[in-house]
Amino acid sequence: MTVLFRRVMAGFLIVCMGGLTVPLPALAGIVGTDTVVAGAERERLASVLDRSEVRVRLQALGVDPANARARVAALSDAEAAQLAAQMDELPAGGDLLGAAVLVFLVLLATDIMGYTKIFPFTRSAR
Amino acid sequence: MRRQAAPAAAGVFILAAVLLAGCAAPQVSSLVQQRPPGLAAKAEITAVPFFPQEDYQCGPASLAAALVHAGREATPESLLPQVFLPGRKGSLQAEMLATTRRHRLVAYPLAPRLEDLMREIAAGVPVVVLQNLALNWAPQWHYAVAIGYDLESRQIVLRSGVTRRATMSLDTFEHTWARSGHWAMLALPADRLPVTATETSFIAALAALERVAPAAAHAGYEHALQRWPGSAAAQIGLGNASYALRDLPGAAAAYLRATFDHPASADAWNNLAQALHELGKREEALVAARRAVDLGGLRLGTYRETLEGILRQP
Repeated sequence: MTVLFRRVMAGFLIVCMGGLTVPLPALAGIVGTDTVVAGAERERLASVLDRSEVRVRLQALGVDPANARARVAALSDAEAAQLAAQMDELPAGGDLLGAAVLVFLVLLATDIMGYTKIFPFTRSAR
Repeated sequence: MRRQAAPAAAGVFILAAVLLAGCAAPQVSSLVQQRPPGLAAKAEITAVPFFPQEDYQCGPASLAAALVHAGREATPESLLPQVFLPGRKGSLQAEMLATTRRHRLVAYPLAPRLEDLMREIAAGVPVVVLQNLALNWAPQWHYAVAIGYDLESRQIVLRSGVTRRATMSLDTFEHTWARSGHWAMLALPADRLPVTATETSFIAALAALERVAPAAAHAGYEHALQRWPGSAAAQIGLGNASYALRDLPGAAAAYLRATFDHPASADAWNNLAQALHELGKREEALVAARRAVDLGGLRLGTYRETLEGILRQP
């Protein structure tokens, strides 16, 4: 409830302060193709809130403001909603040789070599 | 003593053999047992470029390979500000798709089937895949580009990490790929349909492209309509792309065709009304707008707004 309230207030303030930085793609009177495809219309305000939230999160994760704006603009409504809801949980591919602990490397090695006898074991252990 | 040692040794031997052999993956097994008609036994696209990745940057590196292969200019460095997320030391799937669209290409998410991945490779289209190289509870997310496979030797060929031609057992690949939800995408010019494209997914991919690159989406809808001539979404999309490009006559013509083929599509009538209204054809616009309102549906509110907008202007 408070989260919703905060989001609505944040969106309201963004609009009020003239900081409506996310362009509204939908044009007067036209039903957008994404809406035709999805079958249901996402509420306009919800979409604007999603996008402003994603932009703020991108900046917090080290993307500069101009790039963040352009990146948000390239997302579909559904993608913006997904990122707004769970940006921190979604996989971020890239950590190939990252900060892996020794045990982890061992598991990775067994994984790549013969792995399938190990994976069911780890699954059943959960 | 010696009697007990023999079974123990045999046990160790069997265990080692099982460990080394690994366990076959389900999709690979069924593809190997019975190769689907029309699927080549092996294929490899050797022309796909390779960008050895720097730290954490397999997303930009894999995407650059796919974009360059599709005829766009890109390097991992040029893609960093578009797709890399410093705070997560990686790249999100949604942004891999979005960055592809920013290069005026269709970002097509593949169905989660190894067979589809192979069919695309056999058709000459590299496939960007997300793998979890480690385990579900300790993930090691990794993007790579699948460029070849061989069903007889059960191997897949990838542009991956620092290895230009990385070969991996298909079974191991399937397991690592399954842990990302079998996520895979293509980057294709809009006038080229993926061989495994379905109407719904492809039109959805074009709709997402439309907001970034309406001209490219317009070409895509035209090609989609050659493949699926009766697609209401593609007909309306063609109109919407024309509308976004401020080609009002083109938009009206596309919407009109949609209302002929799909007289029950209120969206088509509504958009036709708006385009006619802006063309100054008030009477025709009113007829179309009233039809949309009469048909009603989920977006009745929008149709009413369109009608009122026309009525407001004499």
